[in-house]
Amino acid sequence: MSGDAGTVILDVDRLEKHYGGVHAVDGVSFTVERGSITGLIGPNGAGKSTALAVIGGYVSPTAGRIHFDGADITGYPMHARARVGLVRTFQMARVFGNLTTIENLLVAVPRQRGESAAGILAGKWFWRGEERQLVERARALLDTFGMSTKADDPARTLSGGQKRAVEIMRALMMKPKLLLLDEPMAGLSPSLSRQLEDMLIRLAGDGLSLLLVEHELDTVDRLCGKVVVMAQGRVLSEGRMAELRLSREVQDAYVIG
Amino acid sequence: MAWEYYLVVMLVYLGTDLLAVWGLNLEFGVSGVANLAYIVVVAAGAYTFAICTLGPSSGNGGFQTYIGGFTLPFPLALLAGALAGAVVGTLIGVTGLKRLRQDYQAVAMLVVSLMVATVVSADTGFLNGSAGLALIPNPFADLDPEVARWAYVAVVAFCCLIGFLVLRRFTTGPIGRTLRAMRDDDTAASAAGKNVIGLRLVVQAVGGAFGGLSGALLAGFIGGWSPSAWVYIETLAFLSCVIVGGMGSDRGVSLGTLIIAVLLLQGVQFLPQISSSPGLSEDFGWIILGASTIIFIWFRPQGVLPERRPRYLGKSSSHSPG
Repeated sequence: MSGDAGTVILDVDRLEKHYGGVHAVDGVSFTVERGSITGLIGPNGAGKSTALAVIGGYVSPTAGRIHFDGADITGYPMHARARVGLVRTFQMARVFGNLTTIENLLVAVPRQRGESAAGILAGKWFWRGEERQLVERARALLDTFGMSTKADDPARTLSGGQKRAVEIMRALMMKPKLLLLDEPMAGLSPSLSRQLEDMLIRLAGDGLSLLLVEHELDTVDRLCGKVVVMAQGRVLSEGRMAELRLSREVQDAYVIG
Repeated sequence: MAWEYYLVVMLVYLGTDLLAVWGLNLEFGVSGVANLAYIVVVAAGAYTFAICTLGPSSGNGGFQTYIGGFTLPFPLALLAGALAGAVVGTLIGVTGLKRLRQDYQAVAMLVVSLMVATVVSADTGFLNGSAGLALIPNPFADLDPEVARWAYVAVVAFCCLIGFLVLRRFTTGPIGRTLRAMRDDDTAASAAGKNVIGLRLVVQAVGGAFGGLSGALLAGFIGGWSPSAWVYIETLAFLSCVIVGGMGSDRGVSLGTLIIAVLLLQGVQFLPQISSSPGLSEDFGWIILGASTIIFIWFRPQGVLPERRPRYLGKSSSHSPG
């Protein structure tokens, strides 16, 4: 693992996304290093969320390439990206409402034996062992997030913060290499969002790479090593938050929008 | 005896309706594919069964024309019907390949249903047009009629038993969970690494096989099959069984089939006929069906027997789920 530290896990190269005449993303290039927390910031309409959606495979780019973990994944559909370890969460937490909380976690694991043709043909004995391991992992995660008591509740009955927690736990069940987070703190209480921050820092310490879009600059300051500033579809600046705060260009972008 | 014959008819209807509703529930209730062309897979099964058992179309004095024309043994003809349902179901599923919103997709499928019915009715050389196919041989024609009837009931019961075991392989366990996740939010499901398009096609094939088998069994029992047997509204009857019974719940939709397809739609035959308005009692059945479906969607969307989720017990327990 340590040999990988400092190497690039995500390489975004001259990415463009046009909607008709609107260039929502207009030639964006940046990299994310393994085990780092990289922030993507910028004023409203800068194209951050669109860039994240393109990287996650939710929308296809007009031009540009995306390399992840050594492979060109530009043409991969979303589910294929998830399977190679590039996992995204959504701005509005999306849970599987009729499944229970723990089922939301279990279902997220790709390529389960019980989902395969062999598993369907052979029946329970074929996947029972794997299922038991997954349940244990899910229980442990629920414990960590303090949500064990909600395990068997339908996910639709959870609060907004709990739904976001479910989404993050679901992403973690997939053992991602890079996690894309679109405003993970949105709608969370201050104490919850501090808890989530601590959690993300721990995850990065364990070797997970994170790329997050965030509005709250203090959060970005606390979390992110490198920060990419976007404005009007382009990368305006790149560096540490403390340096960027002093940058005239960045200040203007935020004030003028 | 008349009542015994009636009982046989009801049991065959119940069995074939169950197979079809299970298939539609797998597609719609479990996986969220609102297949409003479902009756087309039933028809595909019925026609396939017919042309696999009728022999060459020059037979019977050549009074009906159709493609193919074979004399396969009964079990093979049933399998062919199920297979035809799977193929046609997959083809219908192709309309869903594009990322369409579920309601648009439902409309697209409804249009498919209407188009297929129009083509089959108009093309007399294909499946004998609007007159349909008749004289489909009964597999137990050599037996005493009373024994033959119950033998058919036994075949239907056997198919239902096998069908239910197959169905449970898809609606329970990890795959059932994955399909339900896709139903609840297909975008989040693909973000979780699920190949939504692939899963939908598989579900359409399996659900199609159920519908095809249902149609094949029905055609073999009635001895005939024509476009009037599979107008698009028949899909709505199955859909109503799913909604009233409990979307996504195998036992719920089974109960729904008994209530809607058998007790309601067959029960109205017992209403006194009004000579000035023939067919009124049947229309009355459809009115009740539509009204009860709407009432359920409004006041009890989860149905009579709602979908139940497995429990994984409390946090302290380290044992496997019960």
